[in-house]
Amino acid sequence: MKEIDPFHIAIKDPAALAAGIREKSGKIIGYMCSYAPEELIHAAGFHPMRLFSSKSEISLAENHLQAYCCSLVRGVLEDSLAGRLDYLDGTVFPHTCDSIQRLSDIWRLNTNYGFFADVVMPAKLNTASARAYMTDVLKKFKTDLEKAIGHPITPADLEASICLFNRIRKNLTRIYELKSQSPGIIKGIDLFAIVKGAMIMDRKELAQRLETIVLLLEKKDPPPSSAKRIILSGSICDMVDIYSLIEVSGGTVVADDLCTGNRWFEGLIPVDIDPLEALTARYADRAICPAKHSGNTVRGEALLALAKTHRADGVIFALLKFCDPHAFDYPYMKEFLDKAAIKSLHLELDDQQQGQGQLSTRLETFMHMI
Amino acid sequence: MDTNQNKDTAKEKEKDKDQRKIKSAKKMREIMTTYYLEAMTARENNKKIAWITSGGPVEPLIAMDIIPIYPENHAAMIGASKMGEDLCVKAEEMGYSSDLCSYARSDISCAQVNGGPIGGLPRPDMLVCCNNICGTVLKWYEVQARYFNVPLFILDTPVCHNGYSPEIAAYVRRQIDEYIVFLETVTGEKLDHDKMTEVGHLALQGQKLWQKILKTTTHKPSPMSAFDAFFFLALIVTLRGTKIAVNFYEELAQEMEERVQKGISIIPHERYRLLWDNLPVWYQLKWLSQKFSDHNACLVADTYTSAWCSAIQYIDENKFLDSMAEAYTRIYLNIGVDEMADQVLDMIHLYDVDGFVMHSNRSCKPYSFGQLDIMEIVRKKTGIPVLMLEADMVDPRNFSLSQADTRIDAFMEIIKQKK
Amino acid sequence: MIFAGIDIGSITAKSALIQNGKLIGTLVIPTGYNPVTAGEKVFSDLLAQTNITPQDVTAIVATGYGRNSVAFADKAMTEIICHGVGAHFLNPKIRGIIDVGGQDSKAIALDKAGQVENFAMNDKCAAGTGRFLEVMAKALEVELNDLGRISLTSNAPSKISSICTVFAESEVISMIAGQQKREDIIAGIHESAAARVGSLATKVKIQSPVIMTGGVAKNQGMVKALKNRLGIEILVGDFPQENGAIGAAVLASRLSL
Repeated sequence: MKEIDPFHIAIKDPAALAAGIREKSGKIIGYMCSYAPEELIHAAGFHPMRLFSSKSEISLAENHLQAYCCSLVRGVLEDSLAGRLDYLDGTVFPHTCDSIQRLSDIWRLNTNYGFFADVVMPAKLNTASARAYMTDVLKKFKTDLEKAIGHPITPADLEASICLFNRIRKNLTRIYELKSQSPGIIKGIDLFAIVKGAMIMDRKELAQRLETIVLLLEKKDPPPSSAKRIILSGSICDMVDIYSLIEVSGGTVVADDLCTGNRWFEGLIPVDIDPLEALTARYADRAICPAKHSGNTVRGEALLALAKTHRADGVIFALLKFCDPHAFDYPYMKEFLDKAAIKSLHLELDDQQQGQGQLSTRLETFMHMI
Repeated sequence: MDTNQNKDTAKEKEKDKDQRKIKSAKKMREIMTTYYLEAMTARENNKKIAWITSGGPVEPLIAMDIIPIYPENHAAMIGASKMGEDLCVKAEEMGYSSDLCSYARSDISCAQVNGGPIGGLPRPDMLVCCNNICGTVLKWYEVQARYFNVPLFILDTPVCHNGYSPEIAAYVRRQIDEYIVFLETVTGEKLDHDKMTEVGHLALQGQKLWQKILKTTTHKPSPMSAFDAFFFLALIVTLRGTKIAVNFYEELAQEMEERVQKGISIIPHERYRLLWDNLPVWYQLKWLSQKFSDHNACLVADTYTSAWCSAIQYIDENKFLDSMAEAYTRIYLNIGVDEMADQVLDMIHLYDVDGFVMHSNRSCKPYSFGQLDIMEIVRKKTGIPVLMLEADMVDPRNFSLSQADTRIDAFMEIIKQKK
Repeated sequence: MIFAGIDIGSITAKSALIQNGKLIGTLVIPTGYNPVTAGEKVFSDLLAQTNITPQDVTAIVATGYGRNSVAFADKAMTEIICHGVGAHFLNPKIRGIIDVGGQDSKAIALDKAGQVENFAMNDKCAAGTGRFLEVMAKALEVELNDLGRISLTSNAPSKISSICTVFAESEVISMIAGQQKREDIIAGIHESAAARVGSLATKVKIQSPVIMTGGVAKNQGMVKALKNRLGIEILVGDFPQENGAIGAAVLASRLSL
């Protein structure tokens, strides 16, 4: 579908995309965590751009982060130190995990893109005091942005951004729904391109394109699919090959619980309450990241529900090596699935590793088992 | 040399060794034994047990007569007894990645198999988790909350990258109140605020004594080493706020001052003074201590044990609960890397050290990430040599003795050349 | 009807033929550096051995890391599935397989029907694989084939406690310098490898009866070390190396072409 081409082009060369945005006098703020308050960044007139490692060889980052650090953190630092992120006008570091926490300091001490902010969201999301704090943090962040641009962010600006992002989220959710209903309607690599593209492209343009794609997909007569229905659960899945490998082995991803997938766009921002409280509500209520806490079995229950809703034949845990929060959750989440007789596969991914053969072996074996 | 001279030299060596021994160590062992025994028999005495993180707010527990247990302290014991490998392997067989913190892995499997040097920890009635030290404890305690099916309280202390903001202050302060409510709900008892004040007073006193003890090592030669500090640390962590801790540290402080007056050095010939960074390599303390001593080098201070007196400046005895918020949030691991580097530089100057030994601890990301930057800052600003030792605090599989041996030798050669 | 299975491993290529549900021939040859020619050769040599022509063969399944290099195969299937089928074919009671090859090791749990229920692989590092033993044999100046035999003569295996081959090698070198008994070091090496492989088995909750396959199964020292590590009997069977190819041949017989 040619409407998806711009997404493929965007993700293939994010630096080129960034250059295009700068040409139109856009200013870019980079972030790595899906808790970054994009709506505020956007309302301030910045272009929020999610950063992914270019998977180049690590050499400069060796002087700052040891080898037992996840490839996302090391890789993005490497890109920065090597000058590949010079298109940034600033970066925002929401609180995520221990690795990002330290990256934030190392970044602050070794780079200078202009704007820099630590947005230290609470790790707890299920108490009134935590939510009140989150709103305070958002308020402070808004003030920091206003200082940077030299004028206030008007309520109208904020409302417009919230509206825009809700449009984007609604349409991404709709595309996922259509995929689950008829997996043959869109290929895994195309859906991947759409979601990843959505994290880096101009948001106004994006909203338009997504609406067009949804309309086209809804009209489409989907080819039947007998592929095994798979749920992907994990953190950052920047490995586009995994989708084609799954499809070649006889499966198809019908839903996910990924930081670079559903977790990032799920949940609309309420429009009938104070905007900062509304943002708080959405970020606190959306599918939770394991680096946050809102109950002891929330993720396990959510995954089980997801598997049931989407009639999953199997679940694949695509975990990034050295990602502690996800690795701590894995055993109990697997147990939840085991009890419900849902088979699962555990993959340990690493940006620097290109072991396709090893991945194929596991995926093929798993498809055969389910 | 004839045999009589040999015998005399041997006798002198024995006498010398005996003089160097820190006498208070025996008392310390007794206190810790009693502490663990009391914990094991808590139920019989109708006392409740709380498992709490090493940076967690223990004072209200003491004030409410709840016995605090520190899985981290227990994990250190597991490491020191060289039982870490087995327990870590068991955790991996349970599905926990081998890249996860070895304290957490050991504790999680230990709870299931009742392993470790004391046959496992007594079951908790509640879990108290403060994430000021890391995000791992949050996940670790969630695992245990599911396993033991007991209430979990989380004191969420946001990272102070650039100072202690009013937002953080308000949030943490509110949580202190929530914490008290939690404890009162779980125990069915009310907090006695007078007792709380008393405990706060003792906690501050204990920390000041600990600080005094650590400062005695500014003396040349040093009366004790970081390895001793690792050992004596346990009380200020587990029994902070009790009279027992205060009494013991008074004795230890006195012994240290006597040693300073008499010029008793912990190592036979102190020629070089070093600073240690990060947690100890629990299963190789004896070897490390001997190795450096053989080079006439004494690790006179470390950033880990000093973390238990760095909050003194924030504590207000008269408003203990209030000041707890700041005291627990602004600890060494919860600040920016640049602020950590400043504290390291202060210690280098205060203790007048010739070299800096950094343990790149695979298990502890908040402590280890940032070390490379701190190393550069130290090199630039002080010119002293820095050694990085790659290891793990409890899992020996991540440590190569021959590698460490070579590195330490090379490092000491550089120091000797410089001095 | 005759069915063939071809298993292209990192070090050896194996083939097997099944006729009327019975195994009629197997062959093992070195893979060399070209998996394509290895596949062709191990197939044609086995046919020559058993006096069968390629036209007699109804279907072929290829497996192993080089499975996609066998152009003339009708289907490629992973070695995990093939090992499961092969083990079950040779002994329907088998519930677990521990496969230790040149470059990787795997643990496979089978359900009562012989289907793969769970599996775990170590294909990212040398520890616990044939490569680990190769490196150690070199360090000790011992023939790889003698390693197992010598390890069995030790009464006090040395402790080599690393998950990293490089670390372990340096420890072994220190031990040689420290003049520890050769057989003790060798036994220690086997225990270290068994610990690594054993972990995989425990992860998949492997149940008896368990069979060991792969080139390393010929090493009696490893079999014993694994038995001690897991506390269960480890069978070896007659076809440890050919097991995957045999399974592939059985799967070929199930293809509906």
